[in-house]
Amino acid sequence: MRDPLEGGNTAPAEGGDGRRYVLEDTGFDEVPKKYRRFYRKWKGPGDTLAPNEVLCPVCKVVIRSTRALRDGDRVYCMPCMSRLVVFTNDAGALEARVAY
Amino acid sequence: MVDFLSAYSIQKWLESCPQGYLENTVFGHPPEEKEPELLLSNPVLREETIRATVQLVVGERCALAASSGLINAAPDEGSKRFLATQTLDEARHVEIFSQRLYDLGVRKEDLEGVLSQYANKNLVKFAEVLLEKVDKKDFVAGVVGQNIVLEGMAFSVFEMMHALNQGMNPKFAHTLSGTIADERRHVGFGENRIGSLIKEFPEKKAEVEKLQKDMSYHMLATFADLFRNNRARPEFEKLGAQARERGISAEWHGVELREMQPEDIEKVLSETVLKEFKVRLERIGLAYQTPSRP
Ligand SMILES: [Zn+2]
Repeated sequence: MRDPLEGGNTAPAEGGDGRRYVLEDTGFDEVPKKYRRFYRKWKGPGDTLAPNEVLCPVCKVVIRSTRALRDGDRVYCMPCMSRLVVFTNDAGALEARVAY
Repeated sequence: MVDFLSAYSIQKWLESCPQGYLENTVFGHPPEEKEPELLLSNPVLREETIRATVQLVVGERCALAASSGLINAAPDEGSKRFLATQTLDEARHVEIFSQRLYDLGVRKEDLEGVLSQYANKNLVKFAEVLLEKVDKKDFVAGVVGQNIVLEGMAFSVFEMMHALNQGMNPKFAHTLSGTIADERRHVGFGENRIGSLIKEFPEKKAEVEKLQKDMSYHMLATFADLFRNNRARPEFEKLGAQARERGISAEWHGVELREMQPEDIEKVLSETVLKEFKVRLERIGLAYQTPSRP
């Protein structure tokens, strides 16, 4: 099964806790069944993202990986078909930008 | 160029949409759900609900004409296949919102008459600006108008309506959830396809930017017509009070919609949609142009 995290960058995150995340199905039903646990609904501005999560700027769905995300990771948002690159914003939080 | 459409397939659309979130639904909602009795029995609320639903049908008929019209203007096979699925999504939206009118008591033979009676003139102009580009087979302008402006507007309007209906009208909230899921794909296609195309055709920028400005003006004028001087205000206030008593909230973009006057909701909606346009357009290298205010 494919993690939304793409490419060969599979080592634990530098400076992160290096742990693997077990992803539960949160009821997100907008992608084929086998991919559902990799996405969840965003609850709005008050929603806190875990180290293995990043928000898709195009469709506002939270993308989840089995390991902590880090600068430069490439992730795929299946609900809107966007390919994204993770970066650290000015506030030090992880964000994603679209790779057209 | 990253070919985002290489990961797209009709098979995935089937598994996500008809075999996914639409499985076991009838016209977009679980079969046993009905419109609340109050909407059917209170003539003022019923008429305003019909008026609001008519705008959804008008918007979706425009989206159906645009997405189907753009198939033959698309420069590549992947876009054609995507637009074919979008055409079916939009036809479904036309059908489910028309069905809602029937559920609200509109007779089938009266549908066209009800649509022309209640269709907002500014929304019709909004559609005409877009369909003119589609008729000219202008793919870049058509996709920006359809998948960024129209779909971007629909995305926010549906989300706001979903927040308002979630606790009070599960049937319509469920109908909207399916359309929101569809819109995610449509705005994703708009951004990703135009993001790469605009680099190829930078000379299209000025025309496309003006299109966004013109469509945005008609959108704001539509919102103004629908929210200001709404004669159902006292009825909606009563509904809001009932919701509060039952502890049902309608939070959207950090504000409690049930605590707000229609003019303030209009302001939040307009600002949210315009901000989204600006952010989306700037991401793909287009300059946002501020529309004049109606
Ligand atoms: Zn997305």
